[in-house]
Amino acid sequence: MNSVGLWTLIKREMKRSFQIINQVIWPPIISTLLYVFVFGLALGSRIKGIQGVSYAQFLLPGLVMMQVIDGAYGESSSSLFQARFTYAIQEMLVAPMSAGEIVFGYVFGSVLRTFLIANVIMVLGVLLLHTTPTSWGLYVAVLVLVAALFSSLGIIFGLMAEKYDNIAVLTTFAITPLVFVGGVFTSIHLLPPVVAHLSLLNPIFYTIDAFRYSYTGQSDVGLAISLPVVAAMTVASYAIAYAMVRAGYKLRT
Amino acid sequence: MVDAPSQAPAIAVHHLVKRYGDATAVNGISFAVERGDFFGFLGPNGAGKTTTINAIVGLARVDGGRIEVFGRDVSTAWRQARRLIGLAPQEYNFDRYLRVREILFYQAGYYGLRPREVAVRVDALLERFGLSAKAHAFVAQLSGGMKRRLTLARALVHDPQIVILDEPTAGVDVELRLELWETLRALRREGKTIVLTTHYIEEAEALCERIGIIEAGRMVALEKTESLLRSHARDELTITLAHPLQAPPPMLAHFSARLDPENACRLRFERLSPLQLSEVLALLGRDGIDVEAVNTERATLQDVFLALTGRGAR
Ligand SMILES: Nc1ncnc2c1ncn2[C@@H]1O[C@H](COP(=O)(O)OP(=O)(O)OP(=O)(O)O)[C@@H](O)[C@H]1O
Ligand SMILES: [Mg+2]
Repeated sequence: MNSVGLWTLIKREMKRSFQIINQVIWPPIISTLLYVFVFGLALGSRIKGIQGVSYAQFLLPGLVMMQVIDGAYGESSSSLFQARFTYAIQEMLVAPMSAGEIVFGYVFGSVLRTFLIANVIMVLGVLLLHTTPTSWGLYVAVLVLVAALFSSLGIIFGLMAEKYDNIAVLTTFAITPLVFVGGVFTSIHLLPPVVAHLSLLNPIFYTIDAFRYSYTGQSDVGLAISLPVVAAMTVASYAIAYAMVRAGYKLRT
Repeated sequence: MVDAPSQAPAIAVHHLVKRYGDATAVNGISFAVERGDFFGFLGPNGAGKTTTINAIVGLARVDGGRIEVFGRDVSTAWRQARRLIGLAPQEYNFDRYLRVREILFYQAGYYGLRPREVAVRVDALLERFGLSAKAHAFVAQLSGGMKRRLTLARALVHDPQIVILDEPTAGVDVELRLELWETLRALRREGKTIVLTTHYIEEAEALCERIGIIEAGRMVALEKTESLLRSHARDELTITLAHPLQAPPPMLAHFSARLDPENACRLRFERLSPLQLSEVLALLGRDGIDVEAVNTERATLQDVFLALTGRGAR
C-alpha cells in the first residue's frame, strides 16, 4: 500500500478546502446559524417541543445532517471533476496509487472537512441551544457514514459529469428536495399518514433519523432500522465509486 | 527466457493496439528502448505518439498487446513499473491549488516519497530548471517556457530510471531549447533512459541515438539515427544552369536527373560520385548548356521523415 501517497492526497484535499474557505467552510456554518435563529428560535418559540426537546433543539441535528450531506457531496464531486477537467488527476494516475487509495483519499478528505463543519455547528448548538449529543459514539458513527455516503456519490457524479453544471443535477433535483422533506424540520409523526409513508422511501430520511437519535435518544422508525439502512447505502455507494475508479471510467482513456 | 528483469530492456512494447471507438490510434506497434538509450519517437500530428506514451504510463487502457518496463508488465506489476517512469506530458496538467514548489512535493508524495526525503532534490530541481524565483508562485503566474520546465522538473522529482518527454520543447525559445538539450544530455550521462517526442526533427537528430517513426498508428522506421540517415536519405546535388530548361536533358536520364519544379534552372541529382559529376558536367558542356553553380546538400533527418511519412510528396 502507498500510504504516503494516500496521505498526500488527503493533505491536498484539505489544502484545497482551506483555499476556498469562503465557498465551502463558512457558508454551511452561517446558514445553519440563520436557520437556528429564524426557524429554531423565532418561529420555533411558537411550536411545542418534539421528541421531548424544544423545537430548536430538535432542529439542530437535522441542520447538521443537511450541511454534512451538502458539504460531502459538494467537496468530492467538485474536487474530482476539477481534477479531471484540468487533467491534474493525471499526477495521481501516473503514480503508483491504486483505485482504493484514490477513492479512500477523496472520501477521507471529504469526511474530514464535513466532520470539522459538523463539529463547529455542534459547538454552536451547545452554546446557543444548550443541546449536546447524548451518544457520542453514535454521533461520530453516523456523521462518518453519512459523509462517506455522500462523498462516494460525489465521486460517482464527479466522474460521470461532462461539464461542471452536471454535478448540480443531483443537488438541485434530488438532494435538496429530499433533505427538505426528509425530516430536518419535522418528525414524520406530524405529517399526514400518506406523506409519512412516502418519507420511508426517502433515503435521506434515514440519515437524519439515525443522527437525531444521537441527540434525542429517539427515532421515528427506530435506530435498528435507520442505522443499517444508512450503513448499507454507504457501503453500496462506496463500492460503486471504487468500481468506477478501478475501471478507469473517464479517468484513463 | 520468460522474465529476466536484470537484462530486460527499459521499455518493451509488444504489438500494442489502442482504439478510440472505431478509430485505431495505435495499430500493433512493437519496439524496445534499451537501458540508457536516448530514443526519439517521431511522427506527424495524430500519428499515435502520445497514445503510445499514455499506454506505457497507464493513462490509456490498451486493447491489445503488452508493455513491459524493466521486465515488469505495466498492467500487472503497475506499482513497480510506474515508480521507474517520470512523465513530462504534452498537455499541462498541474494542480491549480498548489504552488510551484508544492507541486514537486505533492507529486513526490503520490510516488510514496515523504517531504523530507525529497526536500533537497526539490530545491535542486527548482535551481536546475531556473524556477527558484518562482517557487511560491501559482502555475497560472508562469510563462509558457516556465511551465514546460516545471513539467520536466516534476517528471524527475522521484528520480525515475526512465524519463518520457512528450514534446518538451514545444513553445520554448531558442536559447532555452539549447539549454534543455544540455539538460537532457546530462540526464543521459547520468544513466537515465530517455524517450523524447518532438516535431523539431533537428532536435531528434541532435539528441537521439535511436529513432522510431510512427505514422497512422504504425511504426514505419525503427533504427539507429545514423543508419536511418544512411539508408533512407541521400545527399542531394544541385546544378544551377544559366538558362531554364523545359525538361531534364535526355542524355542525363541514367543519372536520374530531375528538374526542380519551382525553378527550371535547377537540375537535381541523388548521390553522384565525383566521377559521375564530371561526366554530367562534360555532357552538359557538350550540349552547350551553361552551368552557373554546383551545390551539394547533406541529407537530414527531416528528409527521411518526409520520405517515410509520405509528407514529402506534397
Ligand atoms: N481521448 C481520445 N479520444 C479519442 N480519440 C483520441 C483520444 N486521444 C487521441 N485520440 C486520437 O488518436 C490519434 C492519435 O493521437 P495522439 O495524441 O496519440 O497523436 P500524437 O502522435 O501524439 O500527435 P501530436 O503530434 O499532434 O501530439 C488521433 O487520431 C487522435 O485524434
Ligand atoms: Mg502528442
